[in-house]
Amino acid sequence: MAALQRIVQSSGGSGYGSSRAADVAVPDQFPAGLRVLVVDDDITCLRILEQMLRRCLYNVTTCSQAAVALDILRERKGCFDVVLSDVHMPDMDGFKLLEHIGLEMDLPVIMMSADGRVSAVMRGIRHGACDYLIKPIREEELKNIWQHVVRKRWNENKEHENSGSLEETDHHKRGSDEIEYASSVNEGTEGTFKAQRKRISAKEEDDGELESDDPSTTKKPRVVWSVELHQQFVSAVNQLGIDKAVPKRILELMNVPGLTRENVASHLQEINLQKFRLYLKRLNGVSQQGGITNSFCAPIETNVKLGSLGRFDIQALAASGQIPPQTLAALHAELLGRPTGNLVTAVDQPALLQATLQGPKCIPADHGVAFGQQLVKCQSNVPENLPQSIISVDDASTGFGVWASNSLGAVASTSNLGGLNPQNGNMLMDILHQQQQKQQNQQSQQQSTLSETSRSISVQPSCLVVPSRSSASFQAGNSPASVNQSCSFNRGAVIDYSLLSSQSNNSSLNMGQISDGDIKTTGVITGYLAPGSLSPSASSCSVTADNTSSQQVQNSNIAFRAARQVPGLVSNVGDIQGSYGAKSGEVFDLGSLRNHGFMGKGNCIPSRLAVDEFESPMNNLNYGNIYLDNNANKVKEEPNLEFVDNAKVGIPMYQQYAPNDLMSVFTD
Amino acid sequence: MGYVDDQFSQLHKLQDESSPDFVVEVASLFFDDAEKLINSMARALEQPCVDFKQVDSHVHQLKGSSSSIGALRVKNVCIAFRSFCDAQNREGCMRCLQQVSHEYTMLKSKLQTLFRMEQQILAAGGSVPLE
Repeated sequence: MAALQRIVQSSGGSGYGSSRAADVAVPDQFPAGLRVLVVDDDITCLRILEQMLRRCLYNVTTCSQAAVALDILRERKGCFDVVLSDVHMPDMDGFKLLEHIGLEMDLPVIMMSADGRVSAVMRGIRHGACDYLIKPIREEELKNIWQHVVRKRWNENKEHENSGSLEETDHHKRGSDEIEYASSVNEGTEGTFKAQRKRISAKEEDDGELESDDPSTTKKPRVVWSVELHQQFVSAVNQLGIDKAVPKRILELMNVPGLTRENVASHLQEINLQKFRLYLKRLNGVSQQGGITNSFCAPIETNVKLGSLGRFDIQALAASGQIPPQTLAALHAELLGRPTGNLVTAVDQPALLQATLQGPKCIPADHGVAFGQQLVKCQSNVPENLPQSIISVDDASTGFGVWASNSLGAVASTSNLGGLNPQNGNMLMDILHQQQQKQQNQQSQQQSTLSETSRSISVQPSCLVVPSRSSASFQAGNSPASVNQSCSFNRGAVIDYSLLSSQSNNSSLNMGQISDGDIKTTGVITGYLAPGSLSPSASSCSVTADNTSSQQVQNSNIAFRAARQVPGLVSNVGDIQGSYGAKSGEVFDLGSLRNHGFMGKGNCIPSRLAVDEFESPMNNLNYGNIYLDNNANKVKEEPNLEFVDNAKVGIPMYQQYAPNDLMSVFTD
Repeated sequence: MGYVDDQFSQLHKLQDESSPDFVVEVASLFFDDAEKLINSMARALEQPCVDFKQVDSHVHQLKGSSSSIGALRVKNVCIAFRSFCDAQNREGCMRCLQQVSHEYTMLKSKLQTLFRMEQQILAAGGSVPLE
């Protein structure tokens, strides 16, 4: 619609008017014609709201049952702009509905209730509601609900614009690519899974490096990684060798017309994530060993310039070690073999999560997760949750951090976000260790796994970056307050999703960061940006994650923003690529997590991320939880590692390991 | 304390040509809803083993709809009612139930009188001021 486009464009963007606008059938007197769905079991209230909304010139549909509302939304996808829902409904909890909507349709949802207590409103925010209105509702309040629609669209547009910018930051471009990619991957695998960014993904992908077009206006065909395409990808990677398998070269070798470097990069990233997930799964089943032997799992894209994007510097990770083929294979297998449906179950089992967090090593799940759905769940000894943990790439704005939408949100709510926790480091090391072990069992699977078609990976936005050494101050903004954390890592091993293998022979996952040369860690998906994403490596960095308004909690919003801003993790070892390098003081815009925590699902995870049908980010704000299995393997930790747990906001939760656990990671 | 608060006059403002009987319509919806809720509360409180959560849920709903229509006194009783539910105080709940029922009956009768009068005025060719 022209009006919306004009408004969007006038915001300063270079022509935001995107195809998204077409979703809104709003005549030129915007916001008239806004299509609203109202859900409330109170008939009196429903009638009054309907009348008020009509008088605001909105297009109103009413419904007194949540289940019916969901059906309506599913049948008439794209026919609504915003949903108003009561919190207390007999057939379904309003928050659950919120989660479902966030996950499936990614619409802004406004909650209503007669309960105006702060705790209730907070709960709404945590579940990823755009707004929370207290009954009795006045007409003036309803007049303004269009802002949530516009805001969401703008943020999505911004993501695209950023990704299409001419800057060198690959992640921007990748962001949009990955969104689309993720969408396509997801949709290929999960029928019920709606790409969080499906609207964004409607953009056409520019061919390669072209930035001149306004990304939000050009339509990009989605890249679907078919089996053949994936085979080409795999053979290219094998040809190049893990160390040299950079997107650019892979692209050249593949020689597929129309394929862009970004497509390849995001695919590689997804594979890595899958592998990591597989690795984690393996970790769960592998008995603990004394030290971490050489190869850590998680192949990472060696030259992925995540760092420039503000994400973890994969190069750094890659540079720090090789990715053993076994790891890659293992990850592939894991990725390909793992249905993302697990995420749903995960989300639906906040209790389980809670239970898993009870262990002494777990971070208590009661952190006030302000944000919605993007949370990383830490699971201890819950093998079945492993597959779900990782990242769901449904709309990965960055290679690493994909904010699962809603589904993750739900999960997030139960998990607390561990900021910089020394334990986290332990856990990551542990995971790496496990993965490494698993890897070694995976050699034969390499070929077979590579042939599998990729599955959707859900990437959790959580992004916890552990500085590799010295102290890093991490600031995570919470909606209620900013959280400053300083963490010092001596060995800098574990980082929020990024595990770097310090050894030259270690493979590192995406964003890993290794402080010392002898530290082997597997890269963790750094792409995840939780509300507090940090990635200080060697030097102290301060990352400020600010949770902006609760509206920003939308998973997708966060994911993109966070992803963009996360500096790559750079290994201290010197292998770290400059891009991440000294990104101290890098500011992360965590944004608020949606996600629900759980969108309507669980406790606090933003919706969006996990695109799985929750109910689940859903942030979940949605979104996207990363489940880290911290059982068995002990990771020794440097005695002087300290992390401050900062997770109040969508910070991925790490299981806490005993301090001396981390050290085992460092031993060969 | 008046029977209705400002919210009620807000409802009048919502009435327009497209919904000329909006207020009456909403009031009727409220009456139906409230009667159902009060009956449910009464049934629940009569049980040998009272399910206070259930009662509370009904009260919460009545509170919501009464505040939407501007039924101030009914709403206030609901607030007190809820704390008795939280405390699982059956006696207190029974008393509140009686109060709620009383307030509701009064409100209904007054509103019906009001509507009747408005209709008479309109039928006689006059107009009813909205303020």
